[in-house]
Amino acid sequence: MRGDEVAPTHEDFWAALLCDNSRAGGQGPWPGHPPQNARWQLRLEGSVRSAPVLRDGILYVTALDGKLHAIETVTGRPVWEFQAEDRIHSTPSLSRNRILFGCDSGKVYAVDCRSGHELWRASALAEVWTSPVVVGDLTLFGAADGRFYALDVATGKTRWARDLSARIYSTAYATERQVYFGCSNGNVYSLETTSGRVIWSTPTGNGLDSSPALSNGLVLIGSEDFYLYALDATTGTIRWKLATGLGIASSPAVAGDTVVVGSKDGYLYAANIPDGRLRWKVRAGWVITAPPVTSGNVVCGQSMGGGVYALDVQSGRRIWSAGLGESVQSCPVLTEDTIYLATTEGMVYALA
Amino acid sequence: MNRRTFVTNACLGTAGFFFEQAASRASEEVQLPPPPPIHVHGMPLTERSPWGMPGLFPGRVVEVFHSRSILQNHVSQPVVRLMLEHGMQTLTGESSAQAAWERFFNPSDVVGIKINPSGAPACCSSPELVREIIRGVESAGVPTRNILIYDRYSTEIQAGSYHALLPVGIRVIGLEHRAREVEAYDLNVYCEANFFGEWETRSYLARVVTQQVTKIVNVPTLKDHSAAGVTGCLKNLGYGSFNNVARSHHAPITFTDPLIGVMCSTEPLRSKAVLHIMDGLREVWHGGPLTQLQDFIDQAGILFLGTDPVAVDTIELQTIEKKRRQKGALSLWDRNPANIVRSEREYFRDPHKNLFFRQPAHIEAAGKLGLGVWEPSKIDHRRLDLG
Repeated sequence: MRGDEVAPTHEDFWAALLCDNSRAGGQGPWPGHPPQNARWQLRLEGSVRSAPVLRDGILYVTALDGKLHAIETVTGRPVWEFQAEDRIHSTPSLSRNRILFGCDSGKVYAVDCRSGHELWRASALAEVWTSPVVVGDLTLFGAADGRFYALDVATGKTRWARDLSARIYSTAYATERQVYFGCSNGNVYSLETTSGRVIWSTPTGNGLDSSPALSNGLVLIGSEDFYLYALDATTGTIRWKLATGLGIASSPAVAGDTVVVGSKDGYLYAANIPDGRLRWKVRAGWVITAPPVTSGNVVCGQSMGGGVYALDVQSGRRIWSAGLGESVQSCPVLTEDTIYLATTEGMVYALA
Repeated sequence: MNRRTFVTNACLGTAGFFFEQAASRASEEVQLPPPPPIHVHGMPLTERSPWGMPGLFPGRVVEVFHSRSILQNHVSQPVVRLMLEHGMQTLTGESSAQAAWERFFNPSDVVGIKINPSGAPACCSSPELVREIIRGVESAGVPTRNILIYDRYSTEIQAGSYHALLPVGIRVIGLEHRAREVEAYDLNVYCEANFFGEWETRSYLARVVTQQVTKIVNVPTLKDHSAAGVTGCLKNLGYGSFNNVARSHHAPITFTDPLIGVMCSTEPLRSKAVLHIMDGLREVWHGGPLTQLQDFIDQAGILFLGTDPVAVDTIELQTIEKKRRQKGALSLWDRNPANIVRSEREYFRDPHKNLFFRQPAHIEAAGKLGLGVWEPSKIDHRRLDLG
């Protein structure tokens, strides 16, 4: 790790988008063999556009019917559900006893993850599709109202808000000093975590729907201008960029010195993080907008037109694939013995 | 033409229309079943809007070309702005782009922009064009909060990342989040027909059309369609504003003719759709509407503008037919049963195959319902070559 690069609030479970704020994905060696059967499956009333998170045997899933579902992972039995006031596109994130997420009315909720009771709610002025990220005593997120918010994670009170006048759908990567995210005006921003002061902004050629990862002192993020960017985390200088065939809405995942990202051209791209050299590209569907996850030597994800896929992270060789529905933004949760999936049709699967 | 059209109750302001049509033209090769009667339950209007289809300029189509509108598969927003400004001025005869937009919109309007994301991301209404249309509508004084983007499927909107590419304050509305959701539709406005014995015989019009917007800018793409022949202004508007339309296809038969025209003539959709801006920056000449294969997508660099969807679609039909002829593909009018395949995969990869007996005559049928000019000789086709 370099500079400000500390994996913040790392919890020993799948607590946030791509497992934790390091965006590495995965929680230990995963065998990589094809799942043999569905241990259980559950149909929710709403389409799922977010990624599930997991802790202590409970899978948390948000859906477009405005519900946050807590599902017991052994049986697939719903434990409780929480009704928000509007649709939820936001991937929930866990911090201590709280589960945090936004909804389309602009509300951001903190819910007790054991009881399902609301702890607090805060308001942005437009929809919050991003996943709140917790660092220290702050929860940080961008909204479609063009503002980036920092709230007190215990109370939901606003500590600061930075108006960037451009929609934000990119979930932030936050450290104790800096927070990084993309914006619809095409800029990648780094703000000071404690104050919201803009440290740097770097333009790309189109808006950003992708969420960044940080590795080797580089901010890795895709743009709708078709490129995967690697920016110096300290200065914002472009170190390299890798061309894909269409826009990138998928968030990159990091596995060692390899970054893997999906493009809307239907290919998954793996690049060498230090220099941006393309290691492999493999077609994994018609369109990929969902983030891939990595675990051990496996990269796994969901695509439109390609179902679920698992590839060897070194070579891109297909290990297995399954037509279990599609996803536009959800990605699997990988554990040592089970894969948890959610789909646009509202199905949740536990595959073993 | 053998077409017969009966309008049993066409009184403006009443709810009921009936359309019945015989088999469409070019049926020499194959005998197609006649479409069933379609019962239309529209919204009562006291007066038809002068902006409604065919609108302020019946029969006029402005075609704007710029060779640098797409570079390395990226749409150039500054070039699109130039094309749109010139196109709007030519369409209206106004001396400024702002004055042109003011012919259609005023500050009290709530404007819906009907995009076509069904080919996203390879070929859809370009976000760069949509941003320029928003700019144009705003120049007429419409507040940003009164502008919304809509289409039926939120998954396709998300695949196009429209939500992340538009200005702050623009609402982005997907009507359906998964199959068979009807919450976003107005159950009092529908077209009803039993095409193939389906259990739900009604298609409902979106509430965003019946209750929210006062005017619509329609932004279709220049695209081949496996069933309708082409998907242009009419299909994007009709099949993209009513639900439950896939039931009109049962390969190899499709009743897009006459259903597309009937839907577009239903009030208030007809009155509210005041401007059509076809995104022909990319041209899908085979495999539409969903193909992602770049082999069949040309960078045509064109915008078509008009208030008459029938005239614009007639020019689109000619354009795609010409391209298919150049590429050695089947004519859009082909009715040879030997060219029909069952495999979508085979069709998507082979422009010498069809999934359906296509119905490009849906454009003419819509013209005969009064939605615009379908005779090519009567179309005022103005071409602008901007470089």
